[in-house]
Amino acid sequence: MSPVQQVLAILLLPLASAAIIALFLRRQGAIATAVSVTAAAALAGLSLGLISSGERFTASMEWLQLGGLTISLGFKFDDIAALMLFVVSFVGFFIHLFSTGYMHDDKARARYFGGLSIFMFSMLGIVFSDNLFMMFIFWELVGFSSYLLINHYHEKQSAADASKKAFIVNRVGDFGFLLGIILCYWTYGTVNLTELGAISDAGGLAYSRLIPLLLFCGAVGKSAQMPLQVWLPDAMEGPTPVSALIHAATMVAAGIFMLCRIEVLMVPEALNVIMWVGTITALYAALCAIVQSDIKKVLAYSTLSQLGYMVAAFGLGSMTVDHNGHEMLIAAGVGAAMFHLTTHAFFKALLFLGSGSVIHGCHHEQDIFKMGGLIKKMPVTFITFTLGVLAIIGMPGLAGFFSKDAILLLAHQNNPAVFGILVFTAVLTAFYMVRMWKLVFFGTTRSDNAAHAHESGFSMTLPLMVLAVLAVTGGYMGVYGKLAGSLAGLIPHSEAAHMTILVTSLAVLVVGALGAWFFYKSDDIDTLELKATGVFKTLSVTKVSFDAVYDYYVAKVQQRFAMLINFLEQIFLAGLIIRGFAGLVGLLGLGARALHVGSLHAYVYWFLLGVVLLWALTSGMF
Amino acid sequence: MITASLNAYILLSVLLFAIGFLGVIVRKNTLAIYISLELMLVASTLALVAFSRYNGTMDGNVFVFFILTVAAAEVAVGLAIIVALFRKRMTVQVDELNALKN
Repeated sequence: MSPVQQVLAILLLPLASAAIIALFLRRQGAIATAVSVTAAAALAGLSLGLISSGERFTASMEWLQLGGLTISLGFKFDDIAALMLFVVSFVGFFIHLFSTGYMHDDKARARYFGGLSIFMFSMLGIVFSDNLFMMFIFWELVGFSSYLLINHYHEKQSAADASKKAFIVNRVGDFGFLLGIILCYWTYGTVNLTELGAISDAGGLAYSRLIPLLLFCGAVGKSAQMPLQVWLPDAMEGPTPVSALIHAATMVAAGIFMLCRIEVLMVPEALNVIMWVGTITALYAALCAIVQSDIKKVLAYSTLSQLGYMVAAFGLGSMTVDHNGHEMLIAAGVGAAMFHLTTHAFFKALLFLGSGSVIHGCHHEQDIFKMGGLIKKMPVTFITFTLGVLAIIGMPGLAGFFSKDAILLLAHQNNPAVFGILVFTAVLTAFYMVRMWKLVFFGTTRSDNAAHAHESGFSMTLPLMVLAVLAVTGGYMGVYGKLAGSLAGLIPHSEAAHMTILVTSLAVLVVGALGAWFFYKSDDIDTLELKATGVFKTLSVTKVSFDAVYDYYVAKVQQRFAMLINFLEQIFLAGLIIRGFAGLVGLLGLGARALHVGSLHAYVYWFLLGVVLLWALTSGMF
Repeated sequence: MITASLNAYILLSVLLFAIGFLGVIVRKNTLAIYISLELMLVASTLALVAFSRYNGTMDGNVFVFFILTVAAAEVAVGLAIIVALFRKRMTVQVDELNALKN
């Protein structure tokens, strides 16, 4: 197969699987599972072959010609796409495998696996897109599949609400994204990524702050950055493997991937905004994570926080005004962001699947204050989960350590304030992760469900083990260098600042982890709530404040505005124009009906009248 | 040879037309109305012949031949309708033929 055919096969396999399941297998859960997992396995195999073959190419064909506007479909398979393809296909396959165990007793298994397949198709479409229009199409498709999968337990009101919230909040961001695409086309006459790169190399790009910021809106929605972060914690209503695949490893990372795709459009001011949005999100989410009691919510806020790191890393390439240095720093931002995206996909998918294993083992108990003591009951889950925790808090030698250090180094070189916030966020990360880890696995068992916990089956522990291996080794150049190709060379290095960063991150790790370890007691009430009620309350309020503001905005401002518009519409459009015209015609009809009296002589009189009128008209009386 | 002026012909034509129209208005019997209608038609043909003669062209005469032919066909159809109507309703009085309205 030629590389293009390979890409097509990778892209269309999950679509075919989704179509087969949706059309024929909606009642056959077992067969649907087999179809979907086989498709995922096949595409993972094809992807590995394609990535390791070293083929990098672009190919495109014209799809639509609307006047002067040509929309094409095409593939741009470069090193970033290859890296992202590995993350999506490989992590995706193991999450499919995990799902076979986790969703085994679910009545709507077929719908679930059909949803996973359509998601894989949409996500791979984003990865391969060579232009922004095509990316936008698949961008919307991942939004749709995310909606479908969050809503899996649709008989639960909270799940239905969460899916709608995710969809609508994303729509807000996508509106900006679409405007950005249109403005980009308007300004440069193309939305093809390769052509934009060529224009940029020729120095032909206009200095536009608006285009990158509008495009960034899309990333704000999809990657759940401030102020559109509200949908991601609620999206945890979906099944846990979905949270791992869509809301941790791949879809939410699509925003960062998209930013790296459009790096040529970036200007310092836009990068500055992006950097601060990412930094604030990282801090805010880490603060919220401390007071969560739901195991998945903790991970959700931690995902938000890590996504904030990536966005900040991308934005940090802005601080040098010097043209050449500026180019280099953007590249370093891309390198650090994609590095962290990859390692985060490994360890966060691992953590989510681990939490899925815990939830499955504890008979769908999600409250960490009702768990405890699972270390003996679930040894494999414990070991792999521990590796995930160590990776995310940056234990030296694990994947998260390298990627987080790259970001901290970038911040250290460019912006002390951001560096300070990110370091503080890292302390918080270690704190809340160790808090959760301790409450779940150590101490006394605090509920019946947890007391009867059991280790999950092989289909669930195997993905955990594979991802644990990646979470440990993913940061080494031997592994990451092979996956990322030229991107690995973009990761920022500095001999001079190396020791500072190392010492800082070790200090962060020790302070955060030991703090949480000694602070929290194995109890069914949050220790923070007992000892520092004020802090606990403040953090809880921080968490709900955004929802409250949006609720207020929607219920009070937007709803009333809508009522006003509706009122005007009822009066002018529906009342005056539509009913008005209809009434006028009806009135004429009433008059015309009155002429029709049923007597032949009356008709003759009308005829006479007509003749007289005609005569009067021709003789010029009127 | 006595030659009447054009005005005399037109006057006769208008008179015939008016008598026909009056008949259409006042008579209740469909047959009588029909005869009156034919009278109006003939009045207009008379005017055409008069104009043709006055102008010295054949245009009006050609029209008249057409009108007579079409009128013959029309009379055949019209009378057939009236006969059919009578068989169905046993009356041809127009004030009783108001089924469409009531």
